[in-house]
Amino acid sequence: MSETKYVRFELARRLEHAVLILSFTTLGLTGLIQRFATAGVSEFLIRLLGGIEPTRIIHRTAAAIFLLEAVYHLVVLGYKLYIQRAEASMMPGIKDVRDVIQFVGFNLGFTKDHPKMGRFNFAEKAEYWAMLWGLVMMGLTGLMLWNPISTANLLPGQFIPAAKAAHGLEAILAVLAIILWHFYHVHIKLWNWAMLRGTMTQSQMEEEHALELEAIQSGKTITPYSAQERARRMRIFVPVSAVSSIFLVVVIFMFLSYEKTAITTVPPVLGGVAAYQRQTATALPTRAPTVTPVPTPTKAPGASQAPTQPPAAAGAATWNSGVSQLFQDTCAACHGSAAMGGLNVSTYADAMKGGSSGALVTPGNPDTSTLIIKMKAGHAKTFSDAELAKIVDWIKAGALEK
Amino acid sequence: MKDLCLHIRRRWFVLVALLPLLVGLMVLAGQAAPVAAAGLPETDPQKPDNTACLACHGQTGQSMKLPNGDVLGTSVDSKMFDASVHMNFSCATCHVNISAYPHPKNASQTAKEYRAQYKDACANCHKALAAELQDSAHTLLGKNGNPNTPVCIDCHNAHTQQPVKKDAAGKPTYEENATIAKVCATCHNGIYQQYIESVHGAGVTANNPDVPACGACHGIHTITDARSVEFRLKSPDLCAKCHTDAKIMGKYNISTEVLSTYVADFHGTTVTLFEKLSPDQQTNKPVCYDCHGVHNIARTSDPQKGLQIKANMLKACQNCHPDANINFPDSWLSHYIPSPEKAPLVYYVNLVYTILIPVVLGGMALIILTDIYRRLRMRGKPAHAETKEK
Repeated sequence: MSETKYVRFELARRLEHAVLILSFTTLGLTGLIQRFATAGVSEFLIRLLGGIEPTRIIHRTAAAIFLLEAVYHLVVLGYKLYIQRAEASMMPGIKDVRDVIQFVGFNLGFTKDHPKMGRFNFAEKAEYWAMLWGLVMMGLTGLMLWNPISTANLLPGQFIPAAKAAHGLEAILAVLAIILWHFYHVHIKLWNWAMLRGTMTQSQMEEEHALELEAIQSGKTITPYSAQERARRMRIFVPVSAVSSIFLVVVIFMFLSYEKTAITTVPPVLGGVAAYQRQTATALPTRAPTVTPVPTPTKAPGASQAPTQPPAAAGAATWNSGVSQLFQDTCAACHGSAAMGGLNVSTYADAMKGGSSGALVTPGNPDTSTLIIKMKAGHAKTFSDAELAKIVDWIKAGALEK
Repeated sequence: MKDLCLHIRRRWFVLVALLPLLVGLMVLAGQAAPVAAAGLPETDPQKPDNTACLACHGQTGQSMKLPNGDVLGTSVDSKMFDASVHMNFSCATCHVNISAYPHPKNASQTAKEYRAQYKDACANCHKALAAELQDSAHTLLGKNGNPNTPVCIDCHNAHTQQPVKKDAAGKPTYEENATIAKVCATCHNGIYQQYIESVHGAGVTANNPDVPACGACHGIHTITDARSVEFRLKSPDLCAKCHTDAKIMGKYNISTEVLSTYVADFHGTTVTLFEKLSPDQQTNKPVCYDCHGVHNIARTSDPQKGLQIKANMLKACQNCHPDANINFPDSWLSHYIPSPEKAPLVYYVNLVYTILIPVVLGGMALIILTDIYRRLRMRGKPAHAETKEK
């Protein structure tokens, strides 16, 4: 035997509720895992959603749907209140406070009767208005976080972290309130089918909405109005609701897409310089060592000659007046104390001794001098042309020491 | 007599028992010796000795011209060589391709090529270092054909290298920091000039053991590519290694909450999640150095660059948020935990909700509890409202 059932929610309201479930759950889930991002379960879920960026996109999509649902709900409200002249049954009043007190009293056994309540009882009103408060809070703070640059243009910067704090804490409150209050009243104490089937049984109506039931039974719910009257009201309602809802939708989308918060590339390094920038090149790549002075050639023993020695041919240098230096600069690296090839040009006497190839110079005859022949044939190191000319002159002049 | 025999036998027994122990110790000692010498070869006094080579190369200003025009210095300061870590080595130990005079023709076309041919000479003895270098950014860049990457001797002049002071873990001690930084400066001079002016670089100059030198962040022989996604995502941990260490930060009165406050914020949360969930994916959310600078890090109180100065902070914000105005920097709490003094608005929002949440939920719970109480009390009793829908 089935009980009498009363229609409670038409299909459109039930669909609205479904949209709300979907967007609210998505927002709550994707939001809380961002709020507690470092918790293990959050990490798991964020990974499941494809990472933090997809999670944010899902969150914001759900937020847009939630806001659009709010606009639609406003239009429906307008229709119900203005066209149908339905009772504003969601408005809270003193009676609701009395109902709570009576309800608690009844539960504890102080009061004899369960309160008789209207179309929406105190529990439902509390939830509806909490939802509205949540919508405003979450909407405002959420849009601030979505548009931080614009927010900082209007308000002190600290409003942004404050909005973030409020957004997260309000979310915790909203989700816990739904789990506690809504789930208890609608799913735990009794399973309420109204949002699924659209109807409610007589006995449930008696407990939760006794006043509404009386009104239905006495036929007091419908305020009749003529087709003419309806048409007159529609002429005002349609343009007003169309303009305001389009306006709201445009504003919402502006808020959602207006601001270009940040650059999309990786930020340039502040005060960046080129990674590769060599120090000003020194002449040689290796560090120039502290100079170990090349030992100044000591005069060969017995080199001191009688001052009566004939002077050098005019114009030509002697060993002591520059030729020695040429040998030091060019040859001594190998033919100094190292005496490569047996040749040591450190002193006049040694130089004149020559090396394994014989005498170094033939005084007076550069063309037969081993030195000149080797220089002209190419050697590991050679004199410059000017230097060579000087050496040639020196040989021509007799390759003198002084 | 019998007693004596027994005594002697017992002593033999002890000796026999000790013998394996002794052998074991010797083996251990034998193994330990080369380890202590870091796997480097025993160094006989230069054989053949270097006199012949240094007779020429010991002179200053020696050089050779390579086919491409590079001039390569070929002088070795024998005094410095004799004071270097390689003082006991013969030239031919490394210059295996040169044995007599005149020297055999070298095929190298450039100074770079010429120097690179001695890479293996180093690896012959420094095997562990050569292994470390395999994955270094310098090696990898070189393999990819970058002509500017260094080989061993670009950083270590084998003729003058002084012993490097190392800690127990074999890492250079802080006393080496300034020297190492100067070596890096050879090629990274732009960075060095910024670094040496920075708060960290100034510390290195002053031989401060607490500040990071190049190697602390980049590694020395294990240098990683600082431009990689991985480096960027892991960099906050790199900074945090010192900046969450109360022992170090305490000396300078720097907060150790810098990492936790960063991670709690939008930017830090994102970077942390990227690091954990998609370490190979780039994010443009800032890491420490995007605001504080990389090598030019200054004290936050520095009048020129310090982020405590709002104009400087704004500049850092505008690096990513070009439209940010002067209010915007306050949206970042500068690593502070909200308090009535710092970020009062955030503090009071938190406070209001820490009261509001328990009050609202508690009120709801109380009302629900009375309902549960009634339902339990009336269980089994017929009541007008207790019929469930069928």
